[in-house]
Amino acid sequence: MKAKKLLAILLALVMLLTLAACGGTEDTADTQAAAGSGDSADTAQELSGEITFWHCFTQGARMEAIEDAAASFMEAHPGVTINIETMSWGDFNTKWNAGLTTGDLPDISVAQNTGEVAEMINAGVLADISGVIDAIGRDRFSENALGDMTTDGVTYGIPYYSHAQVMWYREDLLDAAGLDVPTTWDEFYEAAVALTKDGVYGAGFSCSPNDLLCTRYLNYYVRSAGGSLLNDDLTANLTSDIALEGIEFWVNVYKNCSPAETINYTVNDHATLFYQGTTAFDFNSGFMISGVESNRADLVDYISCAPLPLYKEGDPYYSAEATHIPLVMWENSENKALCQAFIEYLYEDDNYLYFLSAVPVGMLPSITGISDQEAYLSNETVQKFSEEAAIIEQAVEEGRAIGFEHGPSVQAGLLSSQGVVEEMFQDILINGTDIPTAAQAAEDQLNEIFETMVG
Amino acid sequence: MKQDRLSGQGLRSRRIDITRWIFVAPAMAVVVCLLIYPLCSTVLYSFTNKTMIKDSFKVVGLKNYLDILADESFYKAFWNTLKWTVGSVLGQVIIGFTGAICLNQVKNSMARSTFRILCIIPWAFPAIATAMVWKWILNGIYGFLPTMLVDLGITEQMLQFFSDKNLVMPTLMGINIWFGAPLIMVNVYAALQTIPQDQYEAAQIDGASKFQSFRHITIPHIRTVVGLLIVLRTVWVFNNFDIIYMITGGGPAGASTTMPIFIYDTGWTGRLVGKASAASILLLIFLVILTVLYFKVINRWEKEDR
Repeated sequence: MKAKKLLAILLALVMLLTLAACGGTEDTADTQAAAGSGDSADTAQELSGEITFWHCFTQGARMEAIEDAAASFMEAHPGVTINIETMSWGDFNTKWNAGLTTGDLPDISVAQNTGEVAEMINAGVLADISGVIDAIGRDRFSENALGDMTTDGVTYGIPYYSHAQVMWYREDLLDAAGLDVPTTWDEFYEAAVALTKDGVYGAGFSCSPNDLLCTRYLNYYVRSAGGSLLNDDLTANLTSDIALEGIEFWVNVYKNCSPAETINYTVNDHATLFYQGTTAFDFNSGFMISGVESNRADLVDYISCAPLPLYKEGDPYYSAEATHIPLVMWENSENKALCQAFIEYLYEDDNYLYFLSAVPVGMLPSITGISDQEAYLSNETVQKFSEEAAIIEQAVEEGRAIGFEHGPSVQAGLLSSQGVVEEMFQDILINGTDIPTAAQAAEDQLNEIFETMVG
Repeated sequence: MKQDRLSGQGLRSRRIDITRWIFVAPAMAVVVCLLIYPLCSTVLYSFTNKTMIKDSFKVVGLKNYLDILADESFYKAFWNTLKWTVGSVLGQVIIGFTGAICLNQVKNSMARSTFRILCIIPWAFPAIATAMVWKWILNGIYGFLPTMLVDLGITEQMLQFFSDKNLVMPTLMGINIWFGAPLIMVNVYAALQTIPQDQYEAAQIDGASKFQSFRHITIPHIRTVVGLLIVLRTVWVFNNFDIIYMITGGGPAGASTTMPIFIYDTGWTGRLVGKASAASILLLIFLVILTVLYFKVINRWEKEDR
C-alpha cells in the first residue's frame, strides 16, 4: 500500500513538473516578446529569443545557404536561436492550413507564390512586413511584386527571389529536324508533333490535381490572346471562346506529343522529363538549367529558352506568369523584432548573393543592385546563360501571378491551388467528356469554392 | 451514515479510489486526447460549415451529410474503396495462406527460416519506398516491366499501368497484395505450428485424405487467426492512404480515389473541414458495422471450437 502511495505521489509530481515545464516555456516566450516588442532591428546586439523558420528549399545548395545564414546570425547574436524546418511545398501548404486550427505556426516562412500570400492575408495570419521592406529599400523591389502582396496599404510579403515562365527547347533536336524556334502556338504544336519520335516526346502535358500545371498551361494560352481565367468580378472563366480553344489545344498536345504517363504527373515529375532529355520542349523558369545539369550534363549545351509563344504572329509581347517567392512574417510571432532582423540579414549582399548562387539564373534577384555586382556576374552559369537570363528577367518584369491581372485576390490563389482545372483535363482525357461540358462543370465548381472560401 | 463516512474504514476506501484514479489517469488522458477528442471534434465539425481558411463557422445541421450523399464522386470513391479492400484482402489472404502452407511443408529448418525471412521483406518496406520502387518499375515511359513486355513481344506498346483507368486499380491492388501478403503468411504459419501432429496421424490411420485432413483439422485450427487477420487487414486496407496517394494521387480522373483520399482532398485541398468530417463519420459508421459483423462470425467460430 505504501509503495502504491509513493508511486501515486511520484506520478503526480511528474505531471506537475511537466505542466510547470510547459508553463515555463510560455513565460520565457512572454519575456522574449516583451523584450522584442520594444526593440528595433537596429539594436541588433540586444537581440535574443527563439524563432522558427519554415522553408521549402529542400535542394542541397539552397538549404545549405539558409542554414549557413541562420548559423552565422546565431553566432553574431549568441542569445538567438533560429529553428529551421524544411519541408516540401505541398507539405508547407498542408502544414500552415492545419496550423490555422492547431496554432502550430512559424514566426517566419516562405510562401509558394503571391497567390498563396493572398490566401494567408485572407486568413488574417500575417504580420505587416513594411518595416523590413523600408529598411532594405522599398524602391529596390518591383512595384508589381509588392503590389501583389499589399492589401489596404499594408504589405504582408517580401519577395525573396523571382522567376518567370518561358519556353525551353532543345536546340539539337530542332536543328536535326530543320525546325526554327517556334514563336506562335501553332508553330509550337507543329514542332512538338514533328519531334515526337524515337523515344523523345515533343512536350509533356501533366495533369495531377495535386499540382497546378494544367492551370498554368491553360493560362499561357488564354493570356497570349489577351484573355483571363477570371472575370472582372473574380468569378471563374473557363467557358470563354479562348479558354475552350486553349483546352482543346492542350488536349491535342497531350494526345499527340506527350507521354500518356504524365496524366498523373506533378511539377517535379514533369520537369524531370526535360531534365533527362525525354521531352523536346518545356515551359518553366531558369531552374531548368540546374535540373538538366544534374540529370544530363551532356545536354546543357543544347538547351535554351525563348519567350512564350504568341497567339498569332505579330501579336505584342506578353508574360503570362511571373513568380516572386515571398518571405512572410506570421502574426502569432512573439518576437517580431528578431524576425525582422533576421530577414534583413538574409538580404545583406553577401548572404543574398550566396543564396542566389545556389541556383544561378533559376533564382533571380528580387531587389536591384545585385545583378550588376561582380560577384553575381562572375558566376559561370550566369555568364553562359546570359541571353536566357535576359529573356526571363523581361518576363519577370512584365508578368504577374496567375489570375493577378485583375489585381491580387484570393480567387486567383484558389484557381491554381484546388486542382479543379487539372481534374477537368483528366475528365476530358480519361473519361472522354466533351470539352464544353467539362469546362462548364469545372467553372461551376470553382465558383462554388470561391463562394465558400471568400463570399 | 455520517459516522460511517468519518470512520477510518470509509477514509481508506476513498483514498484507495483516488489512488486507482491516479494510476489510470495517464492512460485515460491518452485515450481522451488521441481518441475521444478527435472523434468528438469530427462529429461536431460534421454538423458545421467549418473551413480551414475561416476561423468562424456555424451549425448547418445535416447539410454536409446530404451534400456528400448527393455527390457522385463520393459513391465513386466508396465503390473504389470496396474494390480496393476486397481485392487486396482477398489476394493477401490467398497468397499469404498458400505461402504459409508451402512454408510449413519445408522440412529443413534452416531453409524454412531463410524462406520466412525472405518472404517478410516486402512487409518491412516503408510505404514511401514501396511507392517509389513500383512507380519506377511500372513507369509507362521507361519502366522496367512495360519495357520488358514490349521487348519480349508480349505487348506492342508500353502498358500504362498508372494512367490507364482500367489498369490502375488492379495494379495498385497487386502492389498492396505484394506488400501485405507476408503478414498473413507469417501469422498463418505461426498458427499452423500450433496444430497437434497427432490429429493428422489419427486422421491418416482412419483413412482420411489430404484434403479431408486439411478441411477438418487445419481449417478449424487456424480459422480464428485468419478471421482476426481479415478484420485487421480490412480496417487497415480500407483506411489505407499512403501507397495510393504517393503513386497516383487518386487519379487518373478519380479512377483510384478511395475514401481516405476523397476525405483528404475534401479537407486539405478543398479545405472544407465540415464536409470532410461528415465523410469521415460515414466511413467510421460503415467500418464499425463491418467490424461488428466480422466479430460475430469469429465469436461463432470460437464457440464452435469450444
